[in-house]
Amino acid sequence: MTTLINFVTHSRLWRSFFRHGMPDNPLDRSLVMTTNIFFHLHPVKVNVKSIRAGYSMGLGVITLAAFISLTITGVLLMFYYVPSVERAFVNIVDLQTKVPFGQLLRNLHRWGAHLMVLITVLHMARVFYTGAYKPPREFNWGVGVILLILTLGASFTGYLLPWDQLSFWAITVGTSIASYEPFMGPIIKKILLGGPEVGQESLIRFYALHIMIIPLFMALLISLHLWRVRKDGGLAANEVKD
Amino acid sequence: MTDSLPTKQVFTKGTKTYSLVEIVKAPLTMVEKGPDHTLFAFPIVAILELLLTLGMTLALLIFSLFKNAPLEELANPLVTTDPAKAPWYFMGLQELLEHMHPTLAGVILPALVVLFLIAIPYIDQDRTHAGKWFSTPRGKRITLFSAIYTAAAMPLFVILSSMFPPRELFRGVLPDLLTQSVIPGAVLFTLALLPALWLIVAQRKQTNTREVMLALFTVFIVAAAVFTLTGFLFRGPGFKLYLPWNMPNGYNPFDGL
Ligand code: HEM
Repeated sequence: MTTLINFVTHSRLWRSFFRHGMPDNPLDRSLVMTTNIFFHLHPVKVNVKSIRAGYSMGLGVITLAAFISLTITGVLLMFYYVPSVERAFVNIVDLQTKVPFGQLLRNLHRWGAHLMVLITVLHMARVFYTGAYKPPREFNWGVGVILLILTLGASFTGYLLPWDQLSFWAITVGTSIASYEPFMGPIIKKILLGGPEVGQESLIRFYALHIMIIPLFMALLISLHLWRVRKDGGLAANEVKD
Repeated sequence: MTDSLPTKQVFTKGTKTYSLVEIVKAPLTMVEKGPDHTLFAFPIVAILELLLTLGMTLALLIFSLFKNAPLEELANPLVTTDPAKAPWYFMGLQELLEHMHPTLAGVILPALVVLFLIAIPYIDQDRTHAGKWFSTPRGKRITLFSAIYTAAAMPLFVILSSMFPPRELFRGVLPDLLTQSVIPGAVLFTLALLPALWLIVAQRKQTNTREVMLALFTVFIVAAAVFTLTGFLFRGPGFKLYLPWNMPNGYNPFDGL
């Protein structure tokens, strides 16, 4: 077994993928972190305090996992969905009844969206109560607040897409809240809906926001957020003196 | 193995091989920490992250196998649903709309909340106790007290404001600006600021900024939960208050998730 592992990890093919050997020694364990794109956000060595379950409760990582899961199920849904008032609802019904695992796919995306909103709020509460927003992390806390708003926006714009009674009236109520602002309100509502009420123009606008604009900004800001966690000296738990 | 460089040739005698490039004011993670406080991130961090991802996926999968996403009839602008509710995370706002002027509930309050959240770290700059839950035992007590207080005060606000809406009580007596904006706004703000004011005024000597923030944030998050739950669970047809298990017309709040 060891000889086999050695053979594989020393082969030219393996070496062209990974610039480190089997990570069972300090040197290779360091190299995993510094030479792998998925790991390079982590430091080579971590403080035990920062990985204790009772500190971060893993909520940021779970938020990220939910975002990735939603991206995957969302892209799959795009293979079936057409943002047209004539076809959207029929598409969803077909997805649920005719496409193999279609109902499951839709369930995963919808419940995943609710989960992400919930976990993001919990993550914010965890960061607040552990005092992890304090300098030098004040900027990253702000990035987080924007991420929370974008998460709500992503969820809200997705709500309209099934084009059933639930979507229609929830978005009608939701956008009327925005329109109460006396000066900009009516204009904001018009920009969002593309017309005086929820219709085809609104559907296509919500669709573009939901599948492209908001996720793109989120991916960008999440990258910034995670990079800043590292640049700000890792998790704030590191700073606690015994 | 990389070929070892012939050091002597590269660094001739007297060459300075280092220089001070910059003084960084960032916290040094490793300051005052012995090597025994640290672990190699690989594989433990990778394993933890994998477990969290798998756990989340599994929980989501199991839930999705048992509960289907809702789908009602085709959208029809001519037939209003009763009640017509926003998605659950906006139900707190919709609930507030019942108690005060739309501009106050739908625009001013949300804007203040976002400003408050972003401002928190710029107001509370003191880094002592960063990274510790509730900072101190006193911080924990303040949080607990604020939470219990808000969980009692906000439902009371909802009930009283529904039973004696100032808009109806003073109809024709006081101007709309007073009954719809100033009175409900002032009552809500006073309720929300009371724990923080008590700390600042009565406990002036012992209180630091972090503790005021703990009180304010706790009031905000618990109030948001109370209003969201009220709107989501306790509002039925006609957007009237009902007990969730006692809704008329077979209305089930959870059908609208
Ligand atoms: C899409 C949403 C978000 C994602 C994917 C995300 C992801 C993460 C991750 C993976 C971490 C590392 C620590 C951990 O796992 O808890 C983290 C830390 C942090 N997050 Fe977020 N986050 C999000 C939203 C937010 C929000 C809403 C806030 C606050 C308003 C926030 C503020 C912070 C701060 C200040 C840290 C550093 C915490 C510390 O040093 O202990 N994040 N985030």
